[in-house]
Amino acid sequence: MRPRTAFRVGLVLLVAALAAYPAVGTGYGVRAMLQIFMWVALAASWNLISGLTGYVSFGHVAFFGAGAYTGAILITSAGWSWPAAALAGGLGACVVALVIGYPCLRLKGPYFAIAMLGLNEVLRALVSYFEGLTGGGNGISLPTLEATVPVYYAMGVAAAAVTLLAYLVITSRFGLRLMTIREDEVAAEAMGIDTARHKLYAFLLSAAGPGIVGALAARDQGYIEPISVFPLATTITMIVMVLFGGKGTVWGPVLGAVVLFVSQELVWARFPYLHQLLFGSIIVAVVLLMPRGVLGLLQQKYHLPRTI
Amino acid sequence: MNVVITPAMLGQVVVSGILAGALYAMVALGLALIFGVMRVINIAHGPLLMLGAYTTFFLYQALGLNPYHSVPITMLVLFALGALLQRTLVFRVVDAPELSSLLLTFGISIALVNLAQLAFTSNLRAIEYATGSYTLGPLAFSKSRLIAFAVAAALTGLAFLFLQRTRLGKAIRATSQSREVAMVCGVDVRRIHLITFGVAAALAGAGGALVSVIVAIQPEMGQIWTFKSFLVIVLGGAGNYPGALLGGVLLGLVEQIASLFLTTQLSEAVAYILLVVILLVRPTGLLGGRQT
Repeated sequence: MRPRTAFRVGLVLLVAALAAYPAVGTGYGVRAMLQIFMWVALAASWNLISGLTGYVSFGHVAFFGAGAYTGAILITSAGWSWPAAALAGGLGACVVALVIGYPCLRLKGPYFAIAMLGLNEVLRALVSYFEGLTGGGNGISLPTLEATVPVYYAMGVAAAAVTLLAYLVITSRFGLRLMTIREDEVAAEAMGIDTARHKLYAFLLSAAGPGIVGALAARDQGYIEPISVFPLATTITMIVMVLFGGKGTVWGPVLGAVVLFVSQELVWARFPYLHQLLFGSIIVAVVLLMPRGVLGLLQQKYHLPRTI
Repeated sequence: MNVVITPAMLGQVVVSGILAGALYAMVALGLALIFGVMRVINIAHGPLLMLGAYTTFFLYQALGLNPYHSVPITMLVLFALGALLQRTLVFRVVDAPELSSLLLTFGISIALVNLAQLAFTSNLRAIEYATGSYTLGPLAFSKSRLIAFAVAAALTGLAFLFLQRTRLGKAIRATSQSREVAMVCGVDVRRIHLITFGVAAALAGAGGALVSVIVAIQPEMGQIWTFKSFLVIVLGGAGNYPGALLGGVLLGLVEQIASLFLTTQLSEAVAYILLVVILLVRPTGLLGGRQT
């Protein structure tokens, strides 16, 4: 069997196993897998803007929160079903991304990164302020519904969809143009690439996933409040996962999400106070010592294709 | 919302805005220096300010030092810390793509905040010194803010004198204009980078010392200062050092005026909207971009 065929067969088997898992798995196992799916979708989404174009988003959790609030409000106030509300959550996140991305991505340099650094806090302040719509600091309680298994599948589909999207983008001309922007933006412009528009498209694609996942997480937890859906720690975790796995690749964020989530559950949960220090150190170490991440190293060593 | 605004309130707001503005300008000047000289945005600038506040606090608590007298000590400590960060970590990404330097300083930033939480706990600390205020007619000047304004204005002035008049300052500006030409003229660029990072950290440290008397000290107090300092730079024009002064005062005024109409919760949002609007209509800043 050729390696490529073997890879595809393995992938099909993996998907089949994950689809069958809720029938045999324990409650804890299903919840843990659901979390992994969520992190895969989040990390792969961050990779779409930051890994491909080199524009660092320091506030990607803002889209998670925007999706969570859009979804929760539509479910409680408008009586939408949760799958429809999840898609609307993705749309809501895209609207926020458009408002921020249009002014900030027209410019080269660090403007976008810093604007994203503040976005999270601002959305949290706005959500707390507009109490009529969002319940302010009291948050929103969703109607009770036992939906762990359906949400498991929805989250799985979201993770698969974002990964597939990353594959389609990375293997397309659009993806090549994004990577050209990352390597040399002036050269990209000289080649006739409308850089502002390409960056904005990549940003919108990268906001949709967290929005959908945010709405699903809101449904799953049944209760959201400003502090719970806008934590800076979530953005940090996304960044660490992508950097560790390998930015700009299809499977790097997946690898990073799985490895970091599992180590978090097994080891680091015992040292909650050291969490951020550890993540900060991982970021520093990866940037300095292996900027291409684990998958990048493997690609280099074993001459793997660029498009994995 | 029905808010009646009297002239006295407006005057008060303008005074408070200018007082806060000098502090913003001083801290932002540090960020602007690093960006101008190395093209690095130091996300850890705010956390350095937080460490400056803790340094002042512990000097006050352990040795009973007057928080204003210890400003030079705090600045020295932060200068050393900044130079150490540059020497060990940041110098490796000066020539790397922007992504690397942003991520590196971001990693340093979260590590510093967590280290502060471990070492100092998350308890709120305060220095009770220079409480109360002076009154002049209908206007009130909070003592600690007035002193902060004076010290910040003096330090900013000194920093500009240093940049304009001394050989070292000229070398820093030369490196900021063109690294290659400066190198050809015999400037030791690595040393300049070291000193620039140190000076910038010292300015952040001075900001922390002055803020420590005004607000509660806690490990997460710093991050917002990275954002505000950057906003000040954008307002004044990136690479334009005098622009930072205008930007600082402007940010102070906008925040204070917004506080007349809005809750404090939203005043942060106002600063943010200001950033987005400025980037939309005048991305080179109000005074224009980089001066050559």
